[in-house]
Amino acid sequence: MSYKLIFKELNEERELSSKTTIRDVLEDLNISQETVVTKQNGDVVIEDNEIHDGDEIQIIQIIYGG
Amino acid sequence: MVVCTKCGDPKVVLSRKQSGQFLCKDCFIKSINKKVQQTIRREKLIQKGDKVMVALSGGKDSVVTLDILNSYYKRYVIDLCAVTIDEGIKGYRDDGVAIAKAHAKNLGIEHKVVKFKDCFAIDLDEIMGYENHRGSCTYCGVFRRWIINREAREFNATKIATGHNLDDESQAILMNYLEGNINNLSALGPLTSSKSPKFTPKIKPLREIPEKEIGLYAMVKDLDVHLAGCPYAHESFRMEVGNILKDLSKEHPTMMYSILKGYDKIKPLVRENYPPQFHMGDCVKCGEPSSNELCRACTFLEELGHEVQL
Repeated sequence: MSYKLIFKELNEERELSSKTTIRDVLEDLNISQETVVTKQNGDVVIEDNEIHDGDEIQIIQIIYGG
Repeated sequence: MVVCTKCGDPKVVLSRKQSGQFLCKDCFIKSINKKVQQTIRREKLIQKGDKVMVALSGGKDSVVTLDILNSYYKRYVIDLCAVTIDEGIKGYRDDGVAIAKAHAKNLGIEHKVVKFKDCFAIDLDEIMGYENHRGSCTYCGVFRRWIINREAREFNATKIATGHNLDDESQAILMNYLEGNINNLSALGPLTSSKSPKFTPKIKPLREIPEKEIGLYAMVKDLDVHLAGCPYAHESFRMEVGNILKDLSKEHPTMMYSILKGYDKIKPLVRENYPPQFHMGDCVKCGEPSSNELCRACTFLEELGHEVQL
């Protein structure tokens, strides 16, 4: 099982373990959820959403500071 | 399964920690519009017939400000125009300017792009090449305000709208506390005006909306916004304070709102004892309002061996 992760220059297939939420991915990448919007298969979603096999997860940074 | 607290739609786009609400796209957009309208009405930010000039950088905050004020423009409540300032930051500003131009064209409103270089014969990148500069944000803030004030008069605007959000406002309040800048503190707020007729009142319609929700609003409404960070932002005290507040907000999601509301309550008392310093005279060089012989823009330019290009 796998999903595609898109964040800035990152565009890769990642292995999917049992139960993974978008929040888990953000924590893994050390990204504050307050600075990003996430899309699951093109739809804006909340970080509690669970990732499924074949999903495309896009993380868009919206807060840069300054 | 999580569903929208308001309508039951399972397609939730926001978990609003400060209120415990879950919102779908439509209910989220409605809630932002309603909240901004409430701010505008409560604080009397705009009157029928106002001509509002939006300080439009092309970033999410100013684009969302324009989008929401456009609903007033379309209903003929206000007239709308915009100014974009090109500070001359290589590799950063051009994209924002292009997006700002496209939005203004799309809405059919008057729009002008003004360059630091044309006004001051020097741009921000060049200033940062000086050895003893005062820091990028100091020049940028002073020069941008100088241009915005002048352009508002050129446009005959009666209000200047900026995209300051809840994060910006709570940062500004805390920064002034931390620096003991009580006179500056009393000048903050949703509507700032001056006794000088050369200053156009400034309004902040988004001051109660968290920055993340503004970004989310732009995304779900498919508004084209310039998503990039200013290369000079890391130099600022504001960013340090912003990071502290963001960290605190993780465990205390209502913190920024409390800072704002607490400030609004004490503001009348602060103003009574520490009134904002109004600019009573005019700068001898450029003629802009100033409390000293030279305004801050002309003082900085003199230090840099330049002057205003009138």
